[in-house]
Amino acid sequence: MMIRVLIGSGSLLILGGLAAPPDAAAQMPEESCVSCHSAFGDAPLGEPVQAYAADVHAAKGFGCVACHGGDAEDPGMSAMDPAAGYIGAPERDEVVLLCGRCHSSAQFMRRYNPALRVDQVAEYRTSVHGQQLLERGDERVATCTGCHPAHSIKPPSDPNSSVNPLNVAETCGSCHADPEYMAPYAIPTDQHEKYSESVHWQMMSEEGDLSAPTCNDCHGNHGAAPPGVGWVGNVCGQCHSVMAELFGKSFHARVFAMLGNPGCATCHENHDIGRAGDELLGLGEGAVCGMCHSEGDSGGEVALGMRALIDSLNAHYEAADSILAKAENAGIEVSEALFGLNEATTALVSARTAVHSFSLDSVAEQVEAGLAATSTAYARGEEALGEFLVRRLGLAVSVAIILALIAGLFLKIRKIEQLT
Amino acid sequence: MERDAVSERAAGPRQSRRGFVNWLLGTSVGGLLLAVLYPVTRYLIPPETAESTAATVTLSIRPEDVAPNSAQIFRFGNQPGILVRTPAGELRAFSASCTHLSCIVQYRDDLGRLWCACHNGHFDLNGRVVQGPPPSPLETFVVNVRGDQIVVSRDA
Repeated sequence: MMIRVLIGSGSLLILGGLAAPPDAAAQMPEESCVSCHSAFGDAPLGEPVQAYAADVHAAKGFGCVACHGGDAEDPGMSAMDPAAGYIGAPERDEVVLLCGRCHSSAQFMRRYNPALRVDQVAEYRTSVHGQQLLERGDERVATCTGCHPAHSIKPPSDPNSSVNPLNVAETCGSCHADPEYMAPYAIPTDQHEKYSESVHWQMMSEEGDLSAPTCNDCHGNHGAAPPGVGWVGNVCGQCHSVMAELFGKSFHARVFAMLGNPGCATCHENHDIGRAGDELLGLGEGAVCGMCHSEGDSGGEVALGMRALIDSLNAHYEAADSILAKAENAGIEVSEALFGLNEATTALVSARTAVHSFSLDSVAEQVEAGLAATSTAYARGEEALGEFLVRRLGLAVSVAIILALIAGLFLKIRKIEQLT
Repeated sequence: MERDAVSERAAGPRQSRRGFVNWLLGTSVGGLLLAVLYPVTRYLIPPETAESTAATVTLSIRPEDVAPNSAQIFRFGNQPGILVRTPAGELRAFSASCTHLSCIVQYRDDLGRLWCACHNGHFDLNGRVVQGPPPSPLETFVVNVRGDQIVVSRDA
């Protein structure tokens, strides 16, 4: 608490000269800071000037003094006089307040981006990073510039931004995947590696679905913290809402809460979430129900029953799809039957979803609907193949008739020739 | 006498062979006519359901059968399509296969959206994803009303 007070009061004193948000329009197009610092080229004192040219703040007209203070109109070293409000490079704990001067002000931010949230600092205070920094004085944790690199901040929509969905995991991993850096915190450092194997990253990186989750979608961004055991389902339910709702109403939700199991992650893992397949269901190899249940107990029987139902529908679907494909390849029109098979697809997906209710009846209801559709489709497939055989037989008979006609004509012509 | 008997014996089988050849020719021509007439007849009698091409389909739904703020599923080749009449009265058509896992979407008149019940995916009446896991919009079809007929086509 003492540290927090000291940091808070120190920051207020330092930022005293920068209490009000800067006015971009009032800044000089060419500042004296740039004139001098650009002479350093690639050296540390020149690098910020080069990088800042592509920064979103520069694009909005903000100059160096907006964050560093001082007098940009003064061409001499006195431009960096603390009396002129110069604060130099802010300390890590000061960065949050410095950014918050503008970003926490709805009145100010709406002039530049009315849709941008203004609760980042408030959220940061609730995050593990914020609590470590502001309450325990740990300056190794991420602050604003840890994720939004100072002098080259870009909006998340920019593919080069450190917080573009495709780059977030790399940004978080720059600390969290470094065992040496993370050693004092005694937390795992394999999250990035595991996430890289997950279906979420595959969806995002290979299939270009930027709505697939990355670190901040489950942990929060400015308020980043691990999801609590009790609310993992709510986090996953942001996208997987039907499964989350079924699971929330199920007996398992209450039992998992009692046992301290992290909801969805108990069966699906957290960072290395794979593509969920039927193999997860049941008691066999790769099935997750077997972690708690075994053959003979009621849960195990339900698991086996649900798996058997889904396997049955899957097998019937494959059979119907296969016979229709065979008929289609043979040139028979089966679009009506294939159209009907779409209902079985819906039923199969719904049955797999219904598994999250852990109710055999719910799964059976979907499977029955699917089996009715596959049965009709299969019968139509058989009918189509039957028609194909009739057509082949017809072709054989026609060919035989034509050959007989040719033979008859040949004999008739020869007879006429003999008579003449 | 003996010569006559020999020529009759010789004429008998010849007569029988000639008859056979004539029969063969007659039945072959008959068969050929059947082989031609059968497909012609089958062609003239239309099938129970119209076969749609990959690019366009004429629906069996009449424009007045689709009330505002409602929709009907139709067959587009072997895939389901959905014809929606918006609350404003405009007819729009989309692929009814959800872009997530291919469940058939339905119209929610309480929301004015297309909805996939499997994983709660929502699409607006332009086919765009507005909620849930679908990764991409629904394919949009072009709707033309020609008198009493609705013709749905893939956009060129």
